[in-house]
Amino acid sequence: MAPYVQVAGGGYTIAETEHPAMLNKLRDRLFGQDDRRSRFDRAVLPHLDAGYDLARWLTRNDQDAEDVLQTAVLRALQFFDGFHGVNARAWLLAIVRNSFYNWLEQRNRGHESADPFDEEIHSVASGGADPEVELLRQADSRLLRQGFESLPLPLREVMVLRELEGLSYKEIAAIAAIPIGTVMSRLSRARRQLQDFLIAHGVKERRP
Amino acid sequence: MSCPHTEQEVGAYLDGELELTSALAFERHLEECPDCAQALAAQRALREAIGAADLRFRPSPAQTRRLRRAVVAEPAAGAWPSWRRLQAVAALLLVAVASWSLGRAWPPRPAPDFTDEVVASHVRSLLAGHPADVASTDQHTVKPWFTGRLDYAPPVADLAGQGFPLVGGRLDYLGHHPVAALIYRADRHLINVFTWPSAYDLDGSGADLVATSRQGFHILHWSQGGMTYWAVSDASEDRLRRFFVQEHRGYRVRVSS
Repeated sequence: MAPYVQVAGGGYTIAETEHPAMLNKLRDRLFGQDDRRSRFDRAVLPHLDAGYDLARWLTRNDQDAEDVLQTAVLRALQFFDGFHGVNARAWLLAIVRNSFYNWLEQRNRGHESADPFDEEIHSVASGGADPEVELLRQADSRLLRQGFESLPLPLREVMVLRELEGLSYKEIAAIAAIPIGTVMSRLSRARRQLQDFLIAHGVKERRP
Repeated sequence: MSCPHTEQEVGAYLDGELELTSALAFERHLEECPDCAQALAAQRALREAIGAADLRFRPSPAQTRRLRRAVVAEPAAGAWPSWRRLQAVAALLLVAVASWSLGRAWPPRPAPDFTDEVVASHVRSLLAGHPADVASTDQHTVKPWFTGRLDYAPPVADLAGQGFPLVGGRLDYLGHHPVAALIYRADRHLINVFTWPSAYDLDGSGADLVATSRQGFHILHWSQGGMTYWAVSDASEDRLRRFFVQEHRGYRVRVSS
């Protein structure tokens, strides 16, 4: 799959690269690869932090996050011609995500997949009672981090993209290559699991 | 929940992802369905906790350096024909010679240390109670103000939505040259950003972010897109770094309609 994300409407547009593709091609021919390189630097490098955040949440490890991000950025550089100036952040994040799954596959070769995931919804939806809402509101960052880490990969990635990177459903759907309906159901399940986790642990810690 | 609305819908409503008509219908429904109201309160509480916790991971400065270095070391595209490589080398040499002579002609060059001057300027502007010569929250007012006062156009970012509203602009004097000072606000702190054209950064990769502090002020220094930036503030370093990230986006990225 080409690492190319077209996100129509909403989100961000890279002003620098709004020139028609023709103009970019012309500039590349006139000025050679240096110009292509500086366009890449301007469009993609500002999003290194977002890429790192995603890679770190997926790998759950500093060193692995750096490796995955480095692979992703080099791949982005290689495929930069396929990027058409719409939303460089989402484009880079999609490549980071692909690089992560490649990395995971290589690491798990011979083992079974780390995170078996069942798309069906089993838990019965229920609203929290008032004291539970209060517990949720008071959850501290240590507990929240544990909660995020406890989510299975497919839930964790949509949650990070939505809550930490602030992306729209449409952008998340494009990055994770799933329908918007699946984005919605995964987010819903992620929030439910996170709530259950926080309430269970919050209650436990309150007991003397 | 016995009602036809699902928790998914509650989440989509909270995320502002429901169509307008569905959102309005859902709001009417909320008034008569305690289950949905309760679910919304819980999801909202979760979102508030997440928002307050700042769970994003950021690369360390060393990691950022290594990543940038890896990009710079990589050839821009696969293998080019060698004559193109030669052409590029020749062109680079030409640019290097040209920018060397230009660089001599156009101070202020990015001297290793403007820190003291920048801090002094920042303090002076606060002491005088006159941080801005042109006071406006509108980038389209501030930017044109510099026309005719400087021989370059400083980038002005609109970061009000990210919590850093523009206060205005000021002409300042650094390294024996007039430079643009842009003032942004971070709650009750002011951020002064001094900007001038850097001596042409050849690889276009921009310099690494340099963070220092002096007399309780935090200073960030970077260059990007041919401009050198010095930001100074009494806001926390973390705050200043967040400003840097947003500002970085602000120039290149605008919200499309």
